[in-house]
Amino acid sequence: MAVAAGDGRALEELCRRYERPLHAFLFRQTGGRDVDDLYQETWLHAVRGARGFDPRRRFSTWLFQIAVNLCRDAHRRAGAEPVSPDDRRLTGVPGPDDGRDAALDAQRLLAALPEAQRSAVVLRYYHDMPEAEIAAVLGCPAGTVKSRLHQAVARLAALVRDGR
Amino acid sequence: MSACDDVRTARVLEAELAAEEHAHAATCAACAADTPAVALVARRLAAHEVPAPDGGLRARVIDAASPLLASHARRAERGRLVRAVAVGLVPLPLVVLLDVLLVRYLDALLTAFLPRAVALWLVADYAAMLALLLGVTYAAIPVVATAPLRRLHAR
Repeated sequence: MAVAAGDGRALEELCRRYERPLHAFLFRQTGGRDVDDLYQETWLHAVRGARGFDPRRRFSTWLFQIAVNLCRDAHRRAGAEPVSPDDRRLTGVPGPDDGRDAALDAQRLLAALPEAQRSAVVLRYYHDMPEAEIAAVLGCPAGTVKSRLHQAVARLAALVRDGR
Repeated sequence: MSACDDVRTARVLEAELAAEEHAHAATCAACAADTPAVALVARRLAAHEVPAPDGGLRARVIDAASPLLASHARRAERGRLVRAVAVGLVPLPLVVLLDVLLVRYLDALLTAFLPRAVALWLVADYAAMLALLLGVTYAAIPVVATAPLRRLHAR
């Protein structure tokens, strides 16, 4: 990787290519909390570790792996879900502030998931990653990813059904 | 994991159901009961748009990474230099040996035809030129080896 040799242009090109997907992933993963800081920290980690990057791997997998780990650390430090799943309605039933965008509901739905399940759902649904790649990002077997996706969807459906 | 799990997950996360999931969903009462909630989840997730990143974010990242990039560049330059010098030093004993043999052969040849003082002068002159060429060649190794990285820095 040219970044390992100190090539600023290569870094700029990578940033340009992955800016939106990485930012969107961090936003969904954290519920919008400290996204810019995490985004910058992800890139700094990538640059710092560029010499250890195995070029046979996909760069995106490695980058998202860094992002997931940083989100996990940030989550551990903060000690709470990014957005409380209880503070607003998750269903389509009209509420007093129903005029607010549906994206907020989705954000709260995602916030209701444990972090590992949320990562799997975000990577599969919004980044269209195959289960094998998600497994590489999350550092777990593909079967675990599959079961996390099942559990996550079941949980989301239950939340919506219960009207939470 | 049951077939109902597969159907529920596919309804939310996949573009369409696989044939066997479709067949299962068509006959399963639990999947039918699940449909409204699953459809609502799918709609909610689909509606989740995120704001675009701040315009200056990329520049901030590049700025923050500059010291790391500079450090990488220095390390790469050192590594390249060490490798180039090491590779250059491998044939050095052979080159010196060949030069010495050449000078001795020339000395013997010239001494046979020319007065000793003149032969010695010519041989010494030739030996000095060889030494100078060798010195310049080895001095150029670091310059040549690090040129691509200097161009990178300049960029």
